[in-house]
Amino acid sequence: MHRYLCFPAILAGFLMAVGCYAATDQQPTLTTEDDLGPQVQQPIEFPHYRHAGNRNTVDLTNSDPTKGGMEINCQYCHTYARRSLTAGIPPLQKCVGCHQNIPSVRDKPRIVELFKYWDAKKAIPWKKVHDLPDFVRFNHERHIKRFIEQQGRPVQEVCGYCHGQVKEMTTARRQKPITMGWCVSCHMKEHVVVVANKDGIPEGGTPLGKQAYWYTFQKPAETKNAAGELTAKGPNDCWLCHK
Amino acid sequence: MIDSDSVKNLAGHPFDRRDFLKVLGWGGAAAALSGCGNTSIEDGKETVVSYVEAKDYVIPGVAVYFNSTCAQCDAGCSITGKIREGRVLKLEGNPESPINKGKLCGLGQAAVQHHYNPDRVREPLLRKGDKGEAISWEKAYALINEKLAGVKGEEIALLSGDVSGHQKVLLGNYMDSLGSKNHFVYEAVSPAVVRAANLKFYGVEMPRYRIDKAKVVLSFGADFLGTWVSPVHFAQQYAAFRKGVDGQRGVLIQAESKMTLTGANADRWLAVRPGTEGILALGIINALGVSTGDVAELVKDYDKARVSRDTGVEPSNIDKIAALLKLRSPSLVLAGGAAEGYVHGMQNAAAINLLNQVLGNVGKTIEAPVSVPFPQMAPSKGRTAALKDLNDGLAAGKYKVLFNVATNPVFTAPASYKFRDNMAKAGFKVAFAHYLDETALQADLVLPLDSEMEDWGTHVPEYLADTVQINIQQPLMERLHANTRGMGDILLALVKQRRAEEYKAFDDYYGYLRSAVLQNKAALGGAGSDDDTFWNDTLSNGIVKLSGASGALSLKVDVSGLKLPAPKEIDEQYPMNLIPAVTSNLRDGRHTNQPWIQESPDPLTTIVWDSWVEMHPKMALQLGIVEGDIVKVTSKTGSVSAQVYLFPGIYPDAVSIPIGRGHDAMGRYAKGYGVNPFEIMDAVFESATGELAMHETRVNITKTGQRVIVVKDEGPAGGRQMGRKIAARVSTDQVDLSKEV
Repeated sequence: MHRYLCFPAILAGFLMAVGCYAATDQQPTLTTEDDLGPQVQQPIEFPHYRHAGNRNTVDLTNSDPTKGGMEINCQYCHTYARRSLTAGIPPLQKCVGCHQNIPSVRDKPRIVELFKYWDAKKAIPWKKVHDLPDFVRFNHERHIKRFIEQQGRPVQEVCGYCHGQVKEMTTARRQKPITMGWCVSCHMKEHVVVVANKDGIPEGGTPLGKQAYWYTFQKPAETKNAAGELTAKGPNDCWLCHK
Repeated sequence: MIDSDSVKNLAGHPFDRRDFLKVLGWGGAAAALSGCGNTSIEDGKETVVSYVEAKDYVIPGVAVYFNSTCAQCDAGCSITGKIREGRVLKLEGNPESPINKGKLCGLGQAAVQHHYNPDRVREPLLRKGDKGEAISWEKAYALINEKLAGVKGEEIALLSGDVSGHQKVLLGNYMDSLGSKNHFVYEAVSPAVVRAANLKFYGVEMPRYRIDKAKVVLSFGADFLGTWVSPVHFAQQYAAFRKGVDGQRGVLIQAESKMTLTGANADRWLAVRPGTEGILALGIINALGVSTGDVAELVKDYDKARVSRDTGVEPSNIDKIAALLKLRSPSLVLAGGAAEGYVHGMQNAAAINLLNQVLGNVGKTIEAPVSVPFPQMAPSKGRTAALKDLNDGLAAGKYKVLFNVATNPVFTAPASYKFRDNMAKAGFKVAFAHYLDETALQADLVLPLDSEMEDWGTHVPEYLADTVQINIQQPLMERLHANTRGMGDILLALVKQRRAEEYKAFDDYYGYLRSAVLQNKAALGGAGSDDDTFWNDTLSNGIVKLSGASGALSLKVDVSGLKLPAPKEIDEQYPMNLIPAVTSNLRDGRHTNQPWIQESPDPLTTIVWDSWVEMHPKMALQLGIVEGDIVKVTSKTGSVSAQVYLFPGIYPDAVSIPIGRGHDAMGRYAKGYGVNPFEIMDAVFESATGELAMHETRVNITKTGQRVIVVKDEGPAGGRQMGRKIAARVSTDQVDLSKEV
C-alpha cells in the first residue's frame, strides 16, 4: 500500500507548488496590518508625495520638491474611481493639461519623459500594482459613495484603507494584503449606523429610514454596542465580488 | 482532466480505481488548502494602459451603447452593441425596431465571434501558386484595373448575397461602369419558390403575415420560429398568437416531413410523405366542402382516402383540421421551405396558398406589404437559380473576370455543379471575404473585408414589419486589423477607377453615405433640422422609419395550371428521401466558424460540434441500425458518412442531414467538423422557377460497421429519454383535437 502513497504526495506537492506559493506558511492575520508588496518599476517614477502629499507648513511657497506636496485630491486625477468599478489610470491628457502650464519643471527628466510620450501620442505602459484576480469584481464606486459621499470622511483616509499611505510614496506600492480574508475582516466588523435627522438627511453617516443602510438581500441583525449605538455589519454576500 | 490512464503512465505502476480515487482525494485536499486565504494579488505583472486622450463619455469599466444592424442573416434586426474601453462585448436587440423589438436570436448574439474571429483574413492576398502573398491595397486595386482592361462587360460577372441600401446602389453603379449586367444574387437558403407562388396568388412576393391575428396557424414546413424569413419577428407574433385573440389561445398545426423547431412547438405535428404537402392542402380544401366552381372541380378527386394514402396523414386528422379551420377564423396557412424544395414546389406552394384563399384569410391574416419609397434601395433577393445561371456561364467559359462578394458557392453548390472546376475557367477571380473559405481559396485575389461591426452601411430588409425602415449599420469599434476594408469603401475605390469625376467628392464610403442620406433629408423625415443634428440623430437611432404606402392584395382565385403529381414510386436503389435540414444555428453554414454556434445544441437533437443523420426508429430497426452507428448515405451524386441519431419526428422513409457543417476550409472552428449534404445533393430543379429542388435527392443507407457515442445534451445514448420529448404517449387517432383546444 505504501508505494501508492507517493502518488498522492507527488500530486499534492505539485498542486501546492502551482496553486500557491506558500501553502506551508502562516495564514495572514485578518486585520488591516500592512503587508508590503514589492517595489514595482514604472516607466516614469511618478512622485505621488509631490502631488498628494501634505503641504510643507514651513516653506509656504512649496518650492522644494523634496519637502511637502500639494494636497491634490486623489479624485482629481483618479477621476474614474467614483464613477466606475475600476479606478482607471488618468489619461495622459490629464498630466499634460497641468504640466504644459508649469514651465518651472519642464526640463526635469521625468517631465521630459512624459512629454516624449505625449508628443508621440503613445500611452504610458504603467504596471499594475493592485491587480486582483479576474474572478473578483471590486467596485471602487460603491466604496467612495459609502465612505466619502455618505459619511463624509476625508478622501485620503478612505483611499488609504486599501491603498495605504500613497501620499508618502513615489510610485505606488502595495501596503495591504488585499486578500479575501482581509476584505472580509472589514466587512465583518460591527460598524456604527448613524441615524438620519428628522429631515431624513444623514448627519455624516449612513441614513436609516428612507434608504437602507445595508446592501445585501437580507437585512443584517441589528445589534447595539457598549455605548448603546446601533451597529451593523458590511455586506457579506459571495456574489457581491464573485459575479 | 486527469484520467486514470494518464496517471497510470505517469507513475509507471498499475493503478486501480480505488487508488485513483485516493489520489483525487489527496489532490483535492491540497487544492483546497492552497485556495484558502493565501492567494496573493500579482504586483507589477500586468500592464495597465491608460488613454492618451479620453473622450468625455469614456469611463473605464462603464459601457456605452451604439445602435447598428445585425448582419448574421437577412431579417434585418436592429442591434444595440455594448462597448467598453473601445471594444464591443455584447449585442442585444434595439427596442425601437418594429422587426425585432429589442430581441435578438442566438445567431445574432454570436456575431461578436465573427468580429473577433482569429481566422479572419487580415491582408489582401494575391495567389502565388498555392500560397497567398500579402500585397498592398493600392497594388490590389491597380491589379483589378489592369485585369479589367480589354475585358468586355458581358465577360465580367459578380456574385453576391442579398444586397440592399446604398451598397446596392454603388454595386449597381460599378457594374454599370463596367458595362456588365451579370450581377448574380444568390442565397443558398431562400424562399424563392414561395415568393413566386405568392406573386401568383396574392400579387406580391412577400406579404405581411399576421400570425398574431390568426386563431389557427397551419404551417406546411415553414419554420417561422427558427429559420424562415424573419424568425425573431415571427416569434413575437407567435407569443401574441399563443396568448390568444378574444381569449382563445391560438392553435398551431405543423405538417412537414421532418420536425423543425416550429414543429416541435406545434399542438399537432403531422408527418407528411415528402413532397405531398400540396396534396394535403387540396385534401383539406375538399374536406372543408365550402368551395365552388374551379376550386371544387380541382379538389373533387382529393377525397380523404386518397389523400391519406398519398400523404401518410390519417383521414381522421384531415377531418379534425378541416373542422378546426371552419370553427375558427381567421386562420393562416403558411408554405415553407419543406414544401417548396421539390420539382413541383411551386405547385405545392400554390395549393397551400389556395387554401388561404378558400378560407378567406387573404386581407385578414395576410396583409399587403409596405412599399419602399426608394426602389433603388429595396433589397435584391437571392435565389439559388442565380448560381445555376452563373455556373452554366462559367462552364461555357463566358466569364473572364469573376467578383465574389462574401458568398461561398463552392461550399453550397451541389457537387454535380462542379462549381470549383468551373470557377477555375474564369481567368481572374476576386473574392471579397472575411475568411479563407472554400470559395476564397479558389480566388486569385482575396480582399479582406471589415466585419459588420467595423463597417458603415444601410440595409432595407425584405420583410418589413410595420413601417418601411432603413437600417443603419455603423462601426461599433475601431478596426481590429489595420488592413481590412469595408465593402462600401472598396466599391467606392473601384468605381472611382471608372467614374472618377462623378465620385470625386467622396473620400470614403462614410462620406458618400452621409451625403446620400442628407440629400434626401426631407424625404427621410428630417425636414427642418440641420444636417449635423439629423445625421447624428439617425446614427443614434440606428433606424430611419418611413411611412410607406401599402398596396392591395389580389383576391383573384386562379387555379389554372395547378396540377400536383402523384407521389413518387419508391426507387429500389435509392429508397429514402434526403431532407437537407436548415437549422436555426447553422443556416447555410456561413457562420459555422463561430464557436458559440458550434457548441450551442441543436434545438431538436441537442447535438453539438458534429453532423448527424436523423432517422426514424422504425426504419432504423428495419435496417438494424442503432444510435451512434456511422452510416454511409449514398445518392446518385455521391456519398457522405455520419453518425445516426434516432428521432421519431421524421417521416419513416426520409433521412435528414443538417446543412452548414462539413467545411474543408474556413478556419479552425469550422474545418473538419461534420459533413456537407450539398456534396450528395442531386441537381434537380423546380420546374416553374428553376430553383434548386433541395428535397428531391434520393439516397440509400449502408452501415459502415463503426459506432460512436453521440455527443448530445440529453439522456444516455439509446436511453429511456428517447421519444419522451414529443408528446406521443397517445397515438394520434386517439386524440380529440377539439377537446385539446
